[in-house]
Amino acid sequence: MSQQSDTLDSTAIPPDPAMPTPDRNVSLLNAPPEKRFQVIKRFRKNKLAVAGLIVIILMYVLAAAAPLIATHPYDEITFGARTLPPSAEHWLGTDRNGRDVYSRLLKGGQVSLATGFSAVVIVMAIGILLGAASGFFGGLIDAFIMRFTDILLAIPLILLLITAASLFKPSLLTTIVVIGVASWPGAARLVRGQFLALKGQEFVTAARAIGANPWRIMLKHLFPNTLAVIIVETTLWLSYAILLEASLSYLGLGVQIPTPSWGNMLRDGQSELLFGAWWLTLFPGLAIFITVLAFNLMGDGLRDALDPRHQDR
Amino acid sequence: MSNSIWAYAARRILFLIPLLLGLSIIMFLIVHLAPGDPVTAMLGPQAPSTPEFLEQTRKNLGLDKPLPVQYLVWLGKLVRGDFGTAYSFNGKPVLGLIGERFWGTVQLQGISLLLGILIAIPIGIISATRQYSALDNSVTVGSFIGLALPNFWLALLLQIWLGVQLGLLPTISTGQASQPWSERWKYFVLPVIVLTLPNIAYFVRFMRSSMLEVIKQDYITTARAKGLDHRNVLYGHALRNALIPMVTVIGLQLPRILGGAVIIEQIFAWPGIGLLAWDAIGRRDYPVILGVTMIIGAAVMIVNVLVDVVYALVDPRISVGGGAA
Repeated sequence: MSQQSDTLDSTAIPPDPAMPTPDRNVSLLNAPPEKRFQVIKRFRKNKLAVAGLIVIILMYVLAAAAPLIATHPYDEITFGARTLPPSAEHWLGTDRNGRDVYSRLLKGGQVSLATGFSAVVIVMAIGILLGAASGFFGGLIDAFIMRFTDILLAIPLILLLITAASLFKPSLLTTIVVIGVASWPGAARLVRGQFLALKGQEFVTAARAIGANPWRIMLKHLFPNTLAVIIVETTLWLSYAILLEASLSYLGLGVQIPTPSWGNMLRDGQSELLFGAWWLTLFPGLAIFITVLAFNLMGDGLRDALDPRHQDR
Repeated sequence: MSNSIWAYAARRILFLIPLLLGLSIIMFLIVHLAPGDPVTAMLGPQAPSTPEFLEQTRKNLGLDKPLPVQYLVWLGKLVRGDFGTAYSFNGKPVLGLIGERFWGTVQLQGISLLLGILIAIPIGIISATRQYSALDNSVTVGSFIGLALPNFWLALLLQIWLGVQLGLLPTISTGQASQPWSERWKYFVLPVIVLTLPNIAYFVRFMRSSMLEVIKQDYITTARAKGLDHRNVLYGHALRNALIPMVTVIGLQLPRILGGAVIIEQIFAWPGIGLLAWDAIGRRDYPVILGVTMIIGAAVMIVNVLVDVVYALVDPRISVGGGAA
């Protein structure tokens, strides 16, 4: 939902039920410990969200431990073992170059998760900076940044990514930079909304009254209070970024072979699908699907836990 | 009231001018600052590529001029409705190319959007009225699954399963336009399934929360307290108000929907603007890339204005009189 493209005026935009509204319990993260505990308790009650969290932890552990638990080197080409179905020797089969799919899936997971993570770091860094500046300073800065987000949000993200990734040389680095640089408007809007809502509250007026400088107000008072929303947005963006990377790599515009990623493994294996090599398509696709699903479930659960009123709806 | 809505609409439309200008600058810069040469891409590796010939071609296309000059020349034509001619695609005018393909995308996306809304609304209502029931929970899980399925993966699996293994449906759309509708509908089935599923998932979640929001309102409690029967309250009072925010869904989802077109049209070789964009990007056909992105960007912006205006018309709570809310 971060891709919502309300345009110039906020007047006629109805509340998007899937978005946290700015004026709510946003300060739960730096609330007293018993309240923080309530957040954890609420999160733990949501079985789907907990399942999501467990799957995500598992995915990162598997990716980190890839060299240890892989049964073969991920790029080892075995000519006698082309396109073999799953077996005791090759748990998830081999691809047309005789490479072990299980080992490649682990390495691909490493690449996909790391790419997604790096892209989201860029997305959130730009989004938070510009959103904060926009919401806090208002005026011309706000108008300029918001019109910029309007423009970027009007072009379908994937079209923008395909154009940029294809025209600049496709590579791992291009993928990260392109996703990061093109995807921040949603996050910027969200942070701006939070800053705008918080700016008028009494504790900020009080801080201003005792002469705190704007940077201090932003860093010490506004930013900590937006953390809850930022965490939720980051979780959801991790799932989008993995999906976007997979799409680009599937189209041949993302991570380039021989480096495996879940997306380019799908691309590489799709021609063998016609000859019955289902394992080349099924497993990487499942990996993408499960990871994205887990991030979405966790993000949704986090949002409900941090904003109890949202859960009732 | 109605006067101020038209004033508001006019203001919003005027505001589109700087936005479109901004869009044109951003796209122009992305395309022209990218490394690589459209001329060599256009001529292909077999072309007689003496440096003089390349230089001459570049000159003919106006690519030898400084970037700001190129931009102004392009923009000058653009505002007069001239999108230029394609480098490849037999040098056809860009607008003509887009026109040929536009209908294909509108058909495919229109059907998927309509189906998505028609299926999602009743599911969302039932889900909301039985919140936390087994049915509601499976709808929630189902919509999460629908959102997480990579569309290209789903397309691939369906192509192989329904298309190749069972042989029920064509997997590639080439040549479908020349066939009679009794055959032609088959080409729609697979891409429509792939595009409709995420639509349903998005819209169900939206409809469900919208309905739940309305059910909690005081006037619903009042209607119940008056003794109106359950059905009457739900479908007479609640549903109408819950449907209003659905208007915005189209505006919110249009970029996602058009983005999906690029990947899905490519996979199914569907003759739409998504495939045109894909081909143009692969051939570094600058005028076509710029033309398609400008048209899509403008369409999204205009639809957003329309949605907001329609929303203001149907929801009396929204006032558009005094600027910022």
